[in-house]
Amino acid sequence: MFVLSGYEYFLVFLVICCSVPVLALTLAGLLGAKGEGAARRTTYESGMEPIGGAWIQFNIRYYMFALVFVIFDVETVFLYPWAVAFNQLGLLAFVEALIFIAILVVGLVYAWRKGALEWS
Amino acid sequence: MTLAEGVQLVSFGLLAAMMIGTALGVVLLSNIVYSAFLLGGVFISIAGLYLLLNAGFVAAAQVLVYVGAVNVLILFGIMLVNKQEDFKVIPRAWIGKAATGAVCVGLFALLTTMVLGTPWALSSATPVGDGATVLIGIHLFSDFLLPFELASVLLLMALVGAIILARREYIPDEPVEASVSDALTLPERPRDLVSAGKSDN
Repeated sequence: MFVLSGYEYFLVFLVICCSVPVLALTLAGLLGAKGEGAARRTTYESGMEPIGGAWIQFNIRYYMFALVFVIFDVETVFLYPWAVAFNQLGLLAFVEALIFIAILVVGLVYAWRKGALEWS
Repeated sequence: MTLAEGVQLVSFGLLAAMMIGTALGVVLLSNIVYSAFLLGGVFISIAGLYLLLNAGFVAAAQVLVYVGAVNVLILFGIMLVNKQEDFKVIPRAWIGKAATGAVCVGLFALLTTMVLGTPWALSSATPVGDGATVLIGIHLFSDFLLPFELASVLLLMALVGAIILARREYIPDEPVEASVSDALTLPERPRDLVSAGKSDN
């Protein structure tokens, strides 16, 4: 029967991750200044004055980063079993994985050359 | 009941409650951005259930593909088109709602019969956990090598196609007259320069 063996660190990590935002918000609420005012209610935006509303239509350029990210995210799924079974697979599988990555690097170079990775 | 079984039961209960709660939020909340974020919660809960079922690779794939890729694309799609508009009330909206309800109930019935009709018992020889992942890796690099490498070519095609579509260079503003010479050349629209730092409202 499955007993969640080997996931103890994962569970501890999960608990820490979940408690960080909760602690941050409650501690800020407990220790922060209680003064009311318009400045208190503004969104903190890295020290900049926030301009306009947050519910706006985003620029289409951001979509490109999402698409490139998604492709390499799916690539990770294919490389994950290779990484887990690395010791059993040997040199040939290493070369095969390199071929797999090389084909996708062509795509990365294409995206780079097309300016898909630039902000402007 | 041992401690480990108790942990598993509690984890299952938490994950199931989280999944049902977030799924209801996806359907019931009127703000579509909240729905999209809660959909990520549904996907993460499903990944947790896969972990409980000792299917580590499926859980990792679930997190990577659904939470990382599908949900990000859904969020971007929403944020790109999320214009606050007042939509007109469609007359006879109940027809659409009834059709949706019928499809959902039918799908639920189909899945229920599948769940009830599937023999769930695993033979003891079935590898679970990391052993299954290792076995997937060994298969992927021996007898499924060609599909594996073809997947990379498929990803490359998707990347190039996505870039070409997202750059909107070859999309004409208005439909072009279909003639023999025009059909062979793709009309190119000049790129308009937009600042990436500011989003045009």
